Amino acid sequence: MTNKLITLAQAVARYTWDGMTYAHGAAFPVGADSVVFGREMARQGRRGLNLISHCGSQQLNLLAALGAVRRVEVGFSGLEVYGFAKGLNRAVVSGQTIIEDYSNGAMALRFLGGALNWPFVPATVCLNNDQQWCSGDHPDEYPCARKIPEITDPFSGKKLGAFSVLRPQVAAIHVTMADMEGNAIMLGSEWSRFEMARAAGQVVLVAERIVDQGCMRQYPNLVRIISEVVEAIVYWPWAAWPQSVVGLYDSDEEHMLLMNDMLATAEGTAQYLERYVRAFQTRAEFQALIGPEKMDRLAATATAFLMDPYRRWILPDDQIAALEQEG
Amino acid sequence: MDCTRQEFMAIATGRELKDGELAIFGVGLSMLAGYFAKKNHAPNLRAFTEGGVFGSTPVGGLPWGIECTRLSANATSFTGALDALGFLVASGRCDVAIIGAAQIDKYGNVNTTGIWREPPWKAGRYAPPRVRLNGSGGANDIAVGAKRFIIMAAHDKKRFAERVDYISSPGYLSGGDARERAGFIGGGPSAIITTLGILRPHPVSKEFYLDAYFPFSSVEEIREHTGWDLKVSANVRVVPEPTEQELANLRAVDSTGSLRKK
Repeated sequence: MTNKLITLAQAVARYTWDGMTYAHGAAFPVGADSVVFGREMARQGRRGLNLISHCGSQQLNLLAALGAVRRVEVGFSGLEVYGFAKGLNRAVVSGQTIIEDYSNGAMALRFLGGALNWPFVPATVCLNNDQQWCSGDHPDEYPCARKIPEITDPFSGKKLGAFSVLRPQVAAIHVTMADMEGNAIMLGSEWSRFEMARAAGQVVLVAERIVDQGCMRQYPNLVRIISEVVEAIVYWPWAAWPQSVVGLYDSDEEHMLLMNDMLATAEGTAQYLERYVRAFQTRAEFQALIGPEKMDRLAATATAFLMDPYRRWILPDDQIAALEQEG
Repeated sequence: MDCTRQEFMAIATGRELKDGELAIFGVGLSMLAGYFAKKNHAPNLRAFTEGGVFGSTPVGGLPWGIECTRLSANATSFTGALDALGFLVASGRCDVAIIGAAQIDKYGNVNTTGIWREPPWKAGRYAPPRVRLNGSGGANDIAVGAKRFIIMAAHDKKRFAERVDYISSPGYLSGGDARERAGFIGGGPSAIITTLGILRPHPVSKEFYLDAYFPFSSVEEIREHTGWDLKVSANVRVVPEPTEQELANLRAVDSTGSLRKK
């Protein structure tokens, strides 16, 4: 069996570069996302990124606040009940980050089109409104005819929109558990991670737990991301913090608000970078930032029972660390 | 009755939902209104989120997001965006939805994307906004595909504009048969429920008029807080106060009291 486990720092060094098209996934802004991968990209100083954020999350918020995002395509850019993403909004309003808006459904369809190698995807959403008429790439054209061009259904003669497909160069995808080969199970909404994993040129999984492959052989129907499309795996518990992960931990209200408030200004963002990005390199250092008391409280999620069937296959940290050394 | 305007709005919105319907809710207040209906008078309402969380009711208070752990503790199924927004909404299966709005116009078009000094339709170009909001999320898909949808919004003049800065989710576009001509599968907004009253679309012009006002409000107050010349129904009525039972059921859903903040 191939062992694809590598460290977070290695994964970011190997699979990200300035100016790349990068997708992070994501099950909604307060949900499972590979947030820690974005922290490491920030630590390694990636710039000029073209993000595909379906949806936005604190990862987009952080990278945009740092001025590292040249352009982002997004369905929803806020933080749900935590409000607007202040770091991203600062970058958008100043003109630093170009934003291309689509509906959430259109983003999922565009990933599907990319995964199937279609030239474009036909759909009826986003039409006859400003998501079609306003283009961040072509700001001087209003109504813009190039972002979602109108086409005619050759069978019925009806008007449709032609959507460009999404093919990120790399996607860092959060999963609940993976085996060392890259077969993965996601608990909770998978959002568009199934399609994203197949649309991306390369996929790095960010897994909360590493399990023995016996788990996948017991529940093969639940393996929605398969090793075939996965290049590398990063093991990182609390990877989505301060967001929530079904089965593992609740949303950290205090840090969601603190982080968003800090990212609202350049000074606050610089402080955040020192305190919550540069301040850790190991999993233990990262968990110390969250704090044991808070971790206990957040891990007492009402969804914890969803992990019960899988616990017997979870590999211990020392075994995973040894696998990382080989990878 | 000791209830806040937000609670009144949520109860009035919940009353629009019928038992047995297939419904999709947005994050925040929409979700509280929807789950209030399920608890109060529509026990067989089938609710799902755009992330494909089916069959659940929130635990521990207002969910932080539409597929967060507070909404995922008792689901019967987890799927994803293509299933929820595609197979159930774009297909035309979804009966009813509730969405929010930062800005709304007389034809029920919703802006949740941004506020401009000079909006794109006026400037003839798409400059960065003065204030960036959240984008449409799934609300555009829902506004296009659901059989009907209800819009919830705090009622003030800045929000209720003659024309929105940016259409994120379409209502009746420029009114009349404009929406029909656009070929959307869903029927459009059936009501705008605000913190002051209820607006409904005229059957032909599709312009929203005042149908009813809350007991603490008035026709004059609502017209004053609306950015277009709001027409008033000849049969304008007062919305019945929430009953004890309705309020108890709403507060059971809103156990963290997010609607009680005045």
